Amino acid sequence: MIGYAFFRLVSLCASLAAASIVIFGVIEVIPGDPAAFMLGVSATDDAVAALRAELGLEGGVTARYFSWVGGMLVGDFGTSYTYRVPVSELVLARLQVSLPLTLYALALSTAVAIPVGLAAAARRGGTADYGIMAATQLGIAVPNFWFAMLLVLVFSIGLGWFGAGGFPGWEAGFWTGVKALTLPAVALALPQASILARIMRSSLLEVLGQDYMRTARAKGLSGRQAVVSHGLRNALIPVMTILGLQFSFLLAGAIIIENVFFLPGLGRLIFQGIIQRDLIVVESVVMLLVFAVIMVTYLVDLTYAAIDPRLRRSI
Amino acid sequence: MERRLPPKRASDSPVRSRQTRLPDAAEPVLEVEALSMDIHGVPVVRDVSFDVRAGEVFGLVGQSGSGKSLTALAVMRLAPGGAVTRGRVLLSGTDLTALSERRMCQTRGRDIGMIFQEPMTALNPLRSIGDQVAETLRVHGVASRSEALCVAREKLARVGLPQERFGLDRYPHELSGGQRQRVCIAMAIALRPRLLIADEPTTALDVTNQAEILKLLSDLAADEGMALVLITHDLAVVAGMASRVAVMHEGRVIDVDDTETLFCEASHPYTRDLLRDSLHQPSRRSGSGGTPVLEARNVIRDYAIRRRSLFGARRIHRAVDGVSLTIRQGESVGLVGESGCGKSTLARAVLGLDAMQDGMIQVDGVPVNLVRARMQAVFQDPYGSFNPRQRVGRLIAEPFHLTPLTKPVRHARVIEALEAVGLSAEDVDRYIHEFSGGQRQRIAIARAIVVRPRLVVLDEAVSALDVSIRARILDLLTDLQQRFRLSYLFISHDLEVVRSITDRVLVMHSGRIVEEGVTDRVLSAPEHPRTQELIAAAPRIPEEWLRAGIKAGKPDSDTP
Repeated sequence: MIGYAFFRLVSLCASLAAASIVIFGVIEVIPGDPAAFMLGVSATDDAVAALRAELGLEGGVTARYFSWVGGMLVGDFGTSYTYRVPVSELVLARLQVSLPLTLYALALSTAVAIPVGLAAAARRGGTADYGIMAATQLGIAVPNFWFAMLLVLVFSIGLGWFGAGGFPGWEAGFWTGVKALTLPAVALALPQASILARIMRSSLLEVLGQDYMRTARAKGLSGRQAVVSHGLRNALIPVMTILGLQFSFLLAGAIIIENVFFLPGLGRLIFQGIIQRDLIVVESVVMLLVFAVIMVTYLVDLTYAAIDPRLRRSI
Repeated sequence: MERRLPPKRASDSPVRSRQTRLPDAAEPVLEVEALSMDIHGVPVVRDVSFDVRAGEVFGLVGQSGSGKSLTALAVMRLAPGGAVTRGRVLLSGTDLTALSERRMCQTRGRDIGMIFQEPMTALNPLRSIGDQVAETLRVHGVASRSEALCVAREKLARVGLPQERFGLDRYPHELSGGQRQRVCIAMAIALRPRLLIADEPTTALDVTNQAEILKLLSDLAADEGMALVLITHDLAVVAGMASRVAVMHEGRVIDVDDTETLFCEASHPYTRDLLRDSLHQPSRRSGSGGTPVLEARNVIRDYAIRRRSLFGARRIHRAVDGVSLTIRQGESVGLVGESGCGKSTLARAVLGLDAMQDGMIQVDGVPVNLVRARMQAVFQDPYGSFNPRQRVGRLIAEPFHLTPLTKPVRHARVIEALEAVGLSAEDVDRYIHEFSGGQRQRIAIARAIVVRPRLVVLDEAVSALDVSIRARILDLLTDLQQRFRLSYLFISHDLEVVRSITDRVLVMHSGRIVEEGVTDRVLSAPEHPRTQELIAAAPRIPEEWLRAGIKAGKPDSDTP
């Protein structure tokens, strides 16, 4: 197990290094002069030269790459050109919204999807199964911003239970923060839960057809006992994969929902970075997201190994 | 409440239990009365009745689809969805069909144990073997966790998996098929059930493992006084094991008798057909003496094994170790050996599918990887080796990518091949799922012969087929060999099949050929100890039963 974890860690570092080279290459090397790009066509030569100096664009490509990577390793992501503050500060502030929102949405979606998928698989071909399948189909098909607006209409404007948007900050109290994130989390969780429930259903159905389930019944386990003690763990393996993917997607992919609820999240930071041509912000945030995705994949891999003994001894 | 968990096996010796159980041996443990089952309205088991006594091995034989497994599942009340069963199943006088599902759960595993065909998938891959054996006791609430593990250790030792080599914390993927089947048996007997049902327990195993598992099962039945129902398609297996046999056909028990009487008198025509087909010898001319087609010299094939740890040394497994062989035109050469001896690896090398580490393989004097069209193969699983989305015509035409031929010629060849294997020209537009198992194997053979190869490798090509279909396929192979002057490399674990269709046989062990010679000589007077073991392990119907059975069947066998 430890050997496996170590081996995966080595390959993780290699992926990070490769990703940093690609991101650096795409943003700084390929499109010509980043400073001229950031300032637009009407910029004077002097302004461009000044910006080049400010961005640290003087010097060789290799030297610049290493100073970028070296900076990131000690937490220095450079200074945003438009906001005039260190990128690390910007990102940290946004993460305080995006990370809790992602975890909240994932927790909601898992809590709903696994029992629902189980129920559908247990009643395969029955009314409950058809109902759940239709509902999850709808959950995937409905655009989540529309659903978000519906939530605002009903729960904020109609019932007045939640605010319509904005985030007061965690200083205003934990529950106030959670309350502000509830509607966005529900809106984000709906399609994810629908996908997860379907995966859970089909994965459990496959497991139910396995020979070892029949063996379990022959030992005297009831249908329910067999599912709980032999089916679930086997069925959760594909579900873990999807959960890992959903985490990475939600962390930066919540941009539309962030806009609907006016939340200062990571998605909006990247969006603003792109339209304001703030390459330093874009570069650093993208690198950070790559890091998050790779870390989550690593955790998912470790979870696999914890669930499945066949993976523990393989390298 | 009776506590069936033995505190210590030593105080509960098999001798004593035999003494206490033998007097009621005459009383049936299981009585099946007029059992019928429909699945979605289709009758699959019809009016089946039989009984099994304590300490007795009862054979249930029949071809695939005869309803023998479904009968067992009906006894266990684990029939598939859509099944409706009628009739009575009495276990020591209690009607199982009338029990509530809760009571039935208490009966399964405790009073009836069951073992299934496929040991590779019968165990949960995520839980240790000790845990899975202990679960049988835990689920019936007869032992605490530590007691259950203690019994699990005993039971695993009883089935031949001693603690020193097979700790309770081992996982199924670390064990071979035969070892996994032993774990399944340990699970099934953990609570010393009165009845043990074994559904094709050795079909997926090689002969050596089969012999060991069968020995274990009959010992268990005798020692523990269990009634054992042995379900199999293999007449030779029941001949050596069962005291009584029921033959099933199309959902009915058509013949039930003492084993010896059943074989010697073969009074039912269907039983007689089964016997005859299982011993079928295609009439063939010896094919030795032609020019050499395949010549392999000193073939070596290595596999890298996963390292034990990240910094462990790289390890190599030599699957084929310096094998040489020659196959002449029109000759059939058999290749036998236990599983893992390197048969299939050698076959892949002969087909030019893998690179060798050393040695050479030539077809008509040319290296095999340059003339792949001269070699074709037929494998065990006829369905798995076809793309289900392509029509038969395209499937058969597949090997043509190895040869430059025009479309009309190809089409004509496909039709010719189809007709040669006994199918018709119209079948080119059908899909593979529309054919039965035997027809699929015919299509696989058509695909192999369509490019007019010199050598066909038949890797367990008839192992998955029922005896009657197997007999027809063996006839077909013999006929094709004579028509097209084909050479065969025939890989099989079934020595009777090898005897019936090959001129020479090679015995492989640990990657080496340990014995080779004329088939009849090697199989009747084996010299190498490994060959002797292999032949001793193969189940056989006793000679005198056969002679009696064939004599009994004679008057009838001439009338079609």
